[in-house]
Amino acid sequence: MPIRRLAEHVINQIAAGEVVERPASVAKEVIENAIDAGATRIDVRIEGGGIDLLEVLDDGGGMPAHELPLAVAPHATSKVDSAEDLQHIATMGFRGEALASIGSVARLEIRSRIASDDSGSMIVVDHGAVEEVQPVACPTGTRVTMRGLFARVPARRRFLKRPQAETSRVRRVVRDLAVANPEVAFRLVSQERTMLDLPATNQRGRFIAAMGSELTDELLEVDQEREGIRVLGLVGSPATARPTSAHQVICLNGRPLIDRSIRHAIKEAYRGLIESSRHPTVALLLEVPPDRVDVNVHPAKTEVRFRDDRLVYSIVRRGIEAALAKADLTPAMRPTGGDGPWAPPAERALFGPRDRTSTQSKSSPSTQRFDVPAARAAMGTGTQAPEYPVEVIEAAQPVVQIHQTFLVTQDAEGLLIIDQHALHERVMFEKLMDRLDAGPLPSQRLLMPEMVEASSEAIEAVDSIGPLIERLGFDLTAAGPDVVAVHAVPSLLTERRVSIGGFVSDLLERAGELGSMTDTETAAREVLDMMACKAAIKAGDALTHREMADLVSMRERVERSSNCPHGRPTTLRLSIDELERRFGRR
Amino acid sequence: MSLKMMCDQGALADALNTVSAVVATRTPTPVLTCIKMSASNGRLELSATDGEISLQLALDRLEIDSDGEVLVPADKITQIIRECIDPTVTLESEGHALHINSGDSHFKIYGFDPAEAPPLEPFDDSSVDCTIPAGRLASMVARSLFAAAVEHTRYAINGVLLDREGKRMRLVATDGRRLAMASGDCQSDADPTRCVIPGKALSLIRRLASDPEAPVQISVAESRIMLRFGDADCPATLGSSLVEGRFPPFEDVIPRDHDKKVVFNRELLRSAIRRASLLTNEESRSVRMKFESSRVTLTSHAPEMGEAVVHVEPKDYSGEEMEIGFNPNYIADALKVADDEEITFELKAANKPGVIRCGRDFTYVLMPVNV
Repeated sequence: MPIRRLAEHVINQIAAGEVVERPASVAKEVIENAIDAGATRIDVRIEGGGIDLLEVLDDGGGMPAHELPLAVAPHATSKVDSAEDLQHIATMGFRGEALASIGSVARLEIRSRIASDDSGSMIVVDHGAVEEVQPVACPTGTRVTMRGLFARVPARRRFLKRPQAETSRVRRVVRDLAVANPEVAFRLVSQERTMLDLPATNQRGRFIAAMGSELTDELLEVDQEREGIRVLGLVGSPATARPTSAHQVICLNGRPLIDRSIRHAIKEAYRGLIESSRHPTVALLLEVPPDRVDVNVHPAKTEVRFRDDRLVYSIVRRGIEAALAKADLTPAMRPTGGDGPWAPPAERALFGPRDRTSTQSKSSPSTQRFDVPAARAAMGTGTQAPEYPVEVIEAAQPVVQIHQTFLVTQDAEGLLIIDQHALHERVMFEKLMDRLDAGPLPSQRLLMPEMVEASSEAIEAVDSIGPLIERLGFDLTAAGPDVVAVHAVPSLLTERRVSIGGFVSDLLERAGELGSMTDTETAAREVLDMMACKAAIKAGDALTHREMADLVSMRERVERSSNCPHGRPTTLRLSIDELERRFGRR
Repeated sequence: MSLKMMCDQGALADALNTVSAVVATRTPTPVLTCIKMSASNGRLELSATDGEISLQLALDRLEIDSDGEVLVPADKITQIIRECIDPTVTLESEGHALHINSGDSHFKIYGFDPAEAPPLEPFDDSSVDCTIPAGRLASMVARSLFAAAVEHTRYAINGVLLDREGKRMRLVATDGRRLAMASGDCQSDADPTRCVIPGKALSLIRRLASDPEAPVQISVAESRIMLRFGDADCPATLGSSLVEGRFPPFEDVIPRDHDKKVVFNRELLRSAIRRASLLTNEESRSVRMKFESSRVTLTSHAPEMGEAVVHVEPKDYSGEEMEIGFNPNYIADALKVADDEEITFELKAANKPGVIRCGRDFTYVLMPVNV
């Protein structure tokens, strides 16, 4: 076949592959246009997950009749004039390919009217065929209607998911854009059912409305600015962590974004406060001067390139850490009713809020039962566990060990159930952190080096965190392409009879996983965490009375004692209030 | 054939106590938790095995009315005989059960078919490697076994190396951070021997060496070691499978290039180490030793706990001043088993191993702790 220049509509179809992947990406492009057009209210209506119909109605500036053909032509845009403009893009769209791309793979109708005209006009693009502009009656603004996405491109259509799945993706796009633009009212209707109805509000109100009213008392504010880069946001308390990262919205200059590095920064900020398999609820709005970020990396613009990505990473992480630290370390500042658990009703009732006034108004005891499986789940996995501020337990409270795993005692508020391993692990961890501040840990040299197999990535990672692991008391050298020789280990590990080979091999594996993302502080926490875990008493270890009392009293002296370094809770509380209700005393 | 006999309570209790140390503690096989008692020819033989280590003991302070054998749970028979208050007990079998009568009490314990007991290998006189007095052997065990590793992934160092060349026998144990070597003379004409013995087998030797002068014959076959204790009162045979795997080349680990040599009174140093270690904890288990010509200063420091300074005067010091850190427990372990009045400490540098020697029969290498 001879080489030929492709026909325009074929080029558009190929380009469409990059921008238009599924209904959600169409929704994103069109809504962004609406926002750029200055809309104050955007209504999205979909049918069949947006595959059969997707319509976006806005009250923005609209387009005059003569601009409509240009709007659907490729690389026609009102947002960028010259190549120089690309250096400081302040609008959401700018590439001028969205509508042309959509028009090439579906039937696209655009109705638009500018305020100064009496009537609007409509243009139809049916699978690449542009029809004549016609006058039509419509309100000021633009209505973009897409029908039958990929109807004539079966190869692409096959990659679409079931309508429900596509609906939830559209919902996520609308939600994220809504979080990024709280001053715009959003509504999403699917099959005549309103899925989102978000009136214009402020940032906090919008985030709560979009993510769930349970967050009301659980949000901490982040506001960090450095060198012209600002991170504003709302982050959920550790108790609001979820099993997926679906409750994270990261926006850059109003544009929702997927950025692994920022996700990682968020995760690191919560390290030790939530389990590693869970994800905090977070809305972050990054304000970065347009000339310091390149959004023109990918047609879908969900990925960007920061000029100083390390700086952005550090601002995000420090910002969230500062917010969490404030909340954690000054419990008196926390609203009394707000530190209750963030849990489904059964568990919420079980380990309920400690604030008496708020519990009194709750539903009557007869409607609630002590839900044993839920209680067990809460104790075993601790996923829904409440987080309590550090409390002083009066000395000489009786402590009982049950099943050689949990300690039960009381404080002023009620009954405390403590996971002995989790609490001791946290105590050891904090002690080690303090100890490390005082100087390097004592290091026991070995008579004969112990050889540990490791991947080459792990060995490289060891090189990069060398000074740190030396401070911790390790002396490791590469002894071959996949072998590390251990010459010395922290004497704590030998004291606790921890198997050196096994520990170093785990350590190397973690180092390899973390790879270059690892800064020294992260690595230090990681290694200390491993050391604390190995050195701490285990579930099943019998404790003497004295040991139990000591462990419980350490709870009040140690920072962040509410959770173990992995983020699991150390303590659950059954309040006196709750007990009284259970026994029908009130 | 049914067993019937009367025996001395104390002697039987002691013997049962020793034999029951062999049986397996956690096993799905009940016969491995049992002691077999066989009476014949005027002697009672007690035997037990955990599948790896086996022990046979003979008793003759008893009167046998009728020969026979039983296989009974070790913990029960041992507890019962220990608690009996009469000087004599009578044992009588009935099927697989055993009746025990002592003064005002009567017990019946259910056992197993004696034929189900794992067969025990006899001592092979033709493969005797060497002979050593029991007391000397027990003392060598005491000076080495404590340094052996526990549940180390390198199996060989969970055991103790027996190394004999000519008439010189050495027991060597290490946990990777210190190494203890105890030496002693023995009688032998055989070729050199090297094998690794499980710690559990060695820990039984002390119990069996009741007569320090009695000779112990040692025979080493391919995968098994047998020790015959020639104690007249209580002859015993201990057998054990050997630990597989290579013991690390310990000779390379013992430094010979020291340039500082300090002689201490053992008790003086021991007490100083004990005092200095009071202010160490798990996170900071180390004592710094500063060697100067006229005195040695031990310091310890545990953040948040406190500091200790202890002076100890060496008997003799040669070499330059130096400072080095050690885990005090490792030094204390060695000083506890060294039995001379004097010990010498040999050093090279702060990051090089130190050596404690006591006479020519005890060498202890320990790695420093860097602070």
